[in-house]
Amino acid sequence: MGKSEVKGTVTSLSSMFPAEETQKAAKMVEEKLSEKQNEMNQLKEFIADNTSLINLVQKLPDELHHDIMVPFGKAAFFPGRLIHTNEFLVLLGESYYTERTAKQTVEILKRRGKSLESKVDALKAVMQDLKAEASFFDSTASEAAEGLVEIREYEEDNSTKWASQSGSLELETPSVAEADNKMGASEDDDYARIMSRLEELEKEELAAEDNEENLEDEDEDANAVESDSNEDELIKAAEGDGDEDELTKPAFHRKKDEGYSYLDHGQRYSESQSRKQLQQFNDKEPIEEMSNKYKHQDLTNQFASTGLTEEPVTKGEISHGRIIQEDTKTLSPSINASAPFEKKSVQTSKSEFDSSKAFTGSIVEHTQNLDKSSVGTNTTSLQSSGSQPSKPVSRFKMQRK
Amino acid sequence: MDSLRQEKVQKFEEFVDRRLKPDLVHAIAERDKIFDQQKIFSDLRKNIENLEKNSVTSLRTLVNLGSEVYMQAEVPDTQRIFVDVGLGFHVEFTWSEALKFISLRKEKLERQIEEYTRLIASIKAQIKLVCEGIRELLQIPEEKTVEGRVF
Repeated sequence: MGKSEVKGTVTSLSSMFPAEETQKAAKMVEEKLSEKQNEMNQLKEFIADNTSLINLVQKLPDELHHDIMVPFGKAAFFPGRLIHTNEFLVLLGESYYTERTAKQTVEILKRRGKSLESKVDALKAVMQDLKAEASFFDSTASEAAEGLVEIREYEEDNSTKWASQSGSLELETPSVAEADNKMGASEDDDYARIMSRLEELEKEELAAEDNEENLEDEDEDANAVESDSNEDELIKAAEGDGDEDELTKPAFHRKKDEGYSYLDHGQRYSESQSRKQLQQFNDKEPIEEMSNKYKHQDLTNQFASTGLTEEPVTKGEISHGRIIQEDTKTLSPSINASAPFEKKSVQTSKSEFDSSKAFTGSIVEHTQNLDKSSVGTNTTSLQSSGSQPSKPVSRFKMQRK
Repeated sequence: MDSLRQEKVQKFEEFVDRRLKPDLVHAIAERDKIFDQQKIFSDLRKNIENLEKNSVTSLRTLVNLGSEVYMQAEVPDTQRIFVDVGLGFHVEFTWSEALKFISLRKEKLERQIEEYTRLIASIKAQIKLVCEGIRELLQIPEEKTVEGRVF
């Protein structure tokens, strides 16, 4: 959290926005709004006329002649009839006329109607903006009248970054900030808390890295990447440490749903790294844990299998190699996907327990194992089918375990 | 004393601005409308006289259906013409009757125009009166009217 001094300013809102000025501004905006409203009404009239004209033009060719009163100037009529009922003379503008049939005239009129409607839409958008402005002015005017006071506080040290950010945000919308100021402090606090927690977690990871071997480094890398990518979720639920794993899981889920995103994620690390991680998890976590991950992994498997065939295959080889060594730990050799799921469910509790310990994204690696092993099959199938030779890299990792 | 005068001056000015000037504008607008009507009827008269002169029996015109979309129309018999006599009525006339009616209408319109002109003149006079009063209050020297040429 941002410890340190808190500087602040207290300004009366009415001094920043004198009441009368805001009222004047509000009136001006209202006037503009009414202008636009008039224009809108006019445009709507045009549109209505246009549609009625379209109907008329469509009906006229039904008869050869129509008996009408022909106007003669503005104050006199002649009885007469409409002839050539399929020929229309349309004004295109700039004193250009064209003779068209009824169908063609209807098309012209429809195009005109469309342009009118687009104008109406544009006008509506402008009116919306004006309305927002007007309401904003009204609220400021009333608040200024009530004598609201704007309070700004600045924190230093770690939190300076986002404190200043929030401060800058307030600067951008000073008038809005007054209402938000009351909330702003608490929001800043939350954000600060989240950020500090993130930092702590990262530090822990780094410490773990130093103490442990490469695997841990990879884990942390994975975690770092995951945590970065999962920042949003973390921020939302920056409550408990254990939550992170759970967060990573859903994040992982999400990634799996995206399929490629996960694979890209894996690609970020060298394949060896991912394999190491997988190896790690294979070694660390019993099948029970894997069962949990199988769920995740199945999705990824499917995605991987459908998407990128090459990667899963290569990874599968590696995982196979590992799996071979882990035969003891692997589940029953059934290749079909259904079986492992059941087993997994039994062991979910254990895996959860393990996952809470394991800080890094073990989930990631397991899925890779699964992905590599088979196409759209469960992890168990992957494990059981470990007939392919493992690559030297994986063997290396397995030895560590 | 001065404040009193200032108040009076203000009152006069307000009177001019709020009552007299809008009245003037209104009266002028009404008079213009009647001018337009007069023009319409004189145009009609000219057309009818034209028709008579050329003995036109039938007529082909373009009728505006709205939004400047025209359609051909034929008038087989131009002997009968329906003229707007006001209050939403149109009366069937022959040419000569129509011409007579138009001349009657014109007279009525001219009388109306005269009335409006008188009204406008009176309003203008009132405005001038009030301005003079203000000038007296402020004791600004009167404006001398230019009489004849000044050599």
